[in-house]
Amino acid sequence: MKIVFTSQGTTWEAKIDPRFGRTDFFVIYDEESGVLDSLDNRAIAETAHGAGPQTAQKLSELQADILITGNGPGGNAARVLTQSNMNIYVGASAMTVKEAYATYQKGELQEF
Amino acid sequence: MKEIVVISGKGGTGKTSLTAAFAYLGGKDVIVADCDVDAADMHLLLEPDFQEGEDFYSGELAEIDPEACIDCAKCAEICRFDAIANGNGSYRVKALDCEGCGYCARICPTEAITMQPQNVGKWYISAIKRDSTMVHARLGIAAENSGKLVARVKNEAKRIAAEQQKNLVLVDGSPGIGCPVVSSLSGADFVVLVTEPTVSGMHDLKRVYELVRKFGIRAGCIINKASLNDDVSQTIHRFLEENQIIHIADLPYDENFTVAMTQAKTIVEFDNAQLGHKVEESWVRICNVVNSLEEKQT
Repeated sequence: MKIVFTSQGTTWEAKIDPRFGRTDFFVIYDEESGVLDSLDNRAIAETAHGAGPQTAQKLSELQADILITGNGPGGNAARVLTQSNMNIYVGASAMTVKEAYATYQKGELQEF
Repeated sequence: MKEIVVISGKGGTGKTSLTAAFAYLGGKDVIVADCDVDAADMHLLLEPDFQEGEDFYSGELAEIDPEACIDCAKCAEICRFDAIANGNGSYRVKALDCEGCGYCARICPTEAITMQPQNVGKWYISAIKRDSTMVHARLGIAAENSGKLVARVKNEAKRIAAEQQKNLVLVDGSPGIGCPVVSSLSGADFVVLVTEPTVSGMHDLKRVYELVRKFGIRAGCIINKASLNDDVSQTIHRFLEENQIIHIADLPYDENFTVAMTQAKTIVEFDNAQLGHKVEESWVRICNVVNSLEEKQT
């Protein structure tokens, strides 16, 4: 499984960014290979409107299976994401990426 | 640090009057962010000093280079906003009509049209009443608020709160349910919904609550001017119960709100007896709920 986290940094210790569209980074974890990667999304701060759908587009290009985030995507972004068969989990706002992954593994994150 | 966002859906419910009163009551402990930038008016009650300001760019405007333009008129034909007109023999962009979509720049055969970042106003950091700090913005004529500007104002407020070790950021949220509201809400710990007992107040409360619910943010509601219509107030009470929204308070219709405003005072400065007391009780209630939320590790 390829799992993507919205995050404020690029490591396991980074805090989850509760925002979807305007998240600073994505941390990408490939469970098969064990590789932890990241994607800088900070250029989104320059987008006046429609940050959600734009980030959703970027995310669907990553071909991730699972998204773990805080508040969850807004209406327009959610519509884009549902096209991509991605499972979305929310409520990880207060956690680090590591904690969010552990909570997800325990099945304790809420499905969006 | 906790972030409280006050929204209403409908305009005119008293959202900003109450947010300003809460800012006053919170005093030094609270950093205030005014994200209702389209019709910013919280500064009227909180006396900001516009200490620091910075230009803000959002969106783009088309610009035609007359040297490169061959007068083919393609841009004027495809512009669905009728923002390109021929005056005095040359084509030019009507700045107020241009939506910045960029279609004209894309189809121009000589690349005479470029998209220019638009200066829409300024954002400020100000000292306000009671030694607190407010981050706010002022838009130019015909400029509009955006998720970008809201994110900027909120991020600055959070940065200052972290720097000064303040526990609370109080956000006057944007109206409606669009992009700026999504930006206002995302990352919030608690949402205060301010409504009024009118059909449109109720309708917009439901609409904006849909968004809050989707984001999974805990919410409370103040019914302002509750005495205006008992029937609708009762309907709102039921709606709050059904959705497990905390009923923070019913506030009566009171013209002192307006009188206080004309004196540039928050309601708690003007009337510290009955009404002011009720507003203070609401604030204490909000603080108690927020303090009981699980500590966010920021």
